[in-house]
Amino acid sequence: MSLLDIKNLTLEIDSQSGWIKALDKINLVINEGQIHALVGESGSGKSIIVKAIVGAISDRWRITADRMTWRGQDLLTMSVRERRKIIRSDISVIFQNPKSSLDPIVPLGDQLKEVILATRLEKGMFWNRAKARKKYASELLHRVGIKDHEVYMRSLPHQIPNDVCQKFMIAMALASQPKLVIADDPTRGMEITDKSQILKLLSRVNKVRKLSILFVSHDLLAISSMADHMTVLYCGQTVESGRMSQLRKRALHPYTKALLESAPSFRTDLPPKSPLSSLGGTIPTFQHLPIGCRLGPRCPRARKECVKVPEVRRIHEHTYSCHFPLHRDQK
Amino acid sequence: MLKIILRHASLLILTLFVLSFFSFSLAYLFPGDPLVNLTGIRGSSEQEYALLAEQYAMHSSFIVQYWQYVMHLFSGNWGLSFSSGLPLAEEISRSLAASVELSAYALIFSFLIGLPLGFLSGLRHHKFTDFTLLTASVIGYSIPVFWAALIAILIFSIQLGWFPLSGRISLLYDVPFETGFILIDILLSDLPDKEFAFQDALRHLVLPSVSIAIVTCTIVLRITRRSIVEVMSSEYIQAAYARGLSPRQVFLRHGVKNALIPILPLLVMQFTTLLTNAMIVETIFSWPGIGNGLIQAIYQRDFPAIRAGMLAVSALVLTFTITIDMVIQIFDPAGRRPENATS
Repeated sequence: MSLLDIKNLTLEIDSQSGWIKALDKINLVINEGQIHALVGESGSGKSIIVKAIVGAISDRWRITADRMTWRGQDLLTMSVRERRKIIRSDISVIFQNPKSSLDPIVPLGDQLKEVILATRLEKGMFWNRAKARKKYASELLHRVGIKDHEVYMRSLPHQIPNDVCQKFMIAMALASQPKLVIADDPTRGMEITDKSQILKLLSRVNKVRKLSILFVSHDLLAISSMADHMTVLYCGQTVESGRMSQLRKRALHPYTKALLESAPSFRTDLPPKSPLSSLGGTIPTFQHLPIGCRLGPRCPRARKECVKVPEVRRIHEHTYSCHFPLHRDQK
Repeated sequence: MLKIILRHASLLILTLFVLSFFSFSLAYLFPGDPLVNLTGIRGSSEQEYALLAEQYAMHSSFIVQYWQYVMHLFSGNWGLSFSSGLPLAEEISRSLAASVELSAYALIFSFLIGLPLGFLSGLRHHKFTDFTLLTASVIGYSIPVFWAALIAILIFSIQLGWFPLSGRISLLYDVPFETGFILIDILLSDLPDKEFAFQDALRHLVLPSVSIAIVTCTIVLRITRRSIVEVMSSEYIQAAYARGLSPRQVFLRHGVKNALIPILPLLVMQFTTLLTNAMIVETIFSWPGIGNGLIQAIYQRDFPAIRAGMLAVSALVLTFTITIDMVIQIFDPAGRRPENATS
């Protein structure tokens, strides 16, 4: 059974000009042990999906979905308390900005210990609890590659470097031994060495623990080496989804193709000093969304029919939503 | 740390010197003989006058005179009051203690009410509770203090008779002067009917401290509300929710501390506005405080008392403000430290 199954998730935001669909019929399926990449430009609603999954939503948002289940349990209809319980034990999130996602005035060690569940500790009397908790915390820190755990556990977020902060976030995410880790752009603004360390760490955890990872990023290079599945998002609509290898070989949606082409490392045939290709225009703001397929105004293959939202079509595991997909021209 | 202390100490000392200089120049600016204004001794014989002039170096330059004046201030010789003929140092320390006592209780009172209401209002941001509390706070903030005090007297002491009309304690009790804070003095004293005296003093305190506390309470409420709203919408609070902590855990472990630390200086600084309001309310309740004393001094043209009283009040406010600022900068765990003492 799939871990997380989301079908037609729509999220509306209350604004001055009425309700705006920030997410429009998003589909996302994550299976056990899978690294699933969620890719899109900034402003395409990646982080909002993450927030919708873990339930960190504002009351000015309205969420509807045909299906949003966690191992068969419906996340939308369950009570807040039950949902919190699931999130506490099974789902963890690594946030984009480690520094601002950590409490600035509580020592890091205390914040780490806070998320360790009592059930994950060795059995013992209550006077052994604090010690066991500390031991568990320091083991976690060793595992994510922090050596001076004594020093860092006493420090405050502003006193330590950014990558250590992010490692702390990862340790916190792993603390509850979750089934799914949602990594929301975990390497943003990092140096290349720190970045590769963190990516290695994540893929190791995935292999050793059979942990599923939802990897949210726009760093295609990093993702392509790790992920086995990918979902491409544009402006709050799922554009294409499928196996990484398949998408790279034969992208069906014009947007996916443009996205892959915009990264020079994917194009071995690129002659030197040739201009890099990119789609014209920029991603529209949420106040000025086009109707129908939201890629419409930027799409090189757009036609009259594109003012209607395309149906989701499926070829085996590969789904896409486009009226005029590449490679499949009806002659 | 040492740097912070040194910066604040230098700021404090320099400003205190400026203040003392102003108070010294008052002796010249007030009508009459500067020497008389400084000492408060009127109608002295020629010999005595010459002696005093010698002491205050009246024949030397202005700077030397000022220096002599500062020396006198430090040795506790603040001059005599025109009206009572008593040493001002003692008189002012008594009345200042009474004022500080009144404003301290009012501050505690407004914290006890303002902080929880501010929390409530911030957590129920833009809901009915929030709007109700905001409306109440606007009304509370707009009521003039003296008017509120008069209305309170009219209702609670004249019509209902719950609280005494004025004064600090009933004339029946003779509390010896120890610290100047009447509640502490009563507890320290060996009066035969301590409990009754204590109760009586409390009953005298209620109306004045409440009428001062109203305004401060609304300010505290607003500051707290704003800070809570900001902190609860911050990223680390969202992250804490996403880690599956319950709203209670999130609020108690991460919300409260983060909301309170940045506003603590703002809140404590309300003490100075409180003191100002207390000076107004004191005259209405005939509370024997510095405000009452100063206004009496102004009516009676008691120049030495005005000079010394103003110096005392401003020095107190200044010392308090700078000390609090320093303490908060030293103990802020997030290390939000401006480089110099002026912020």
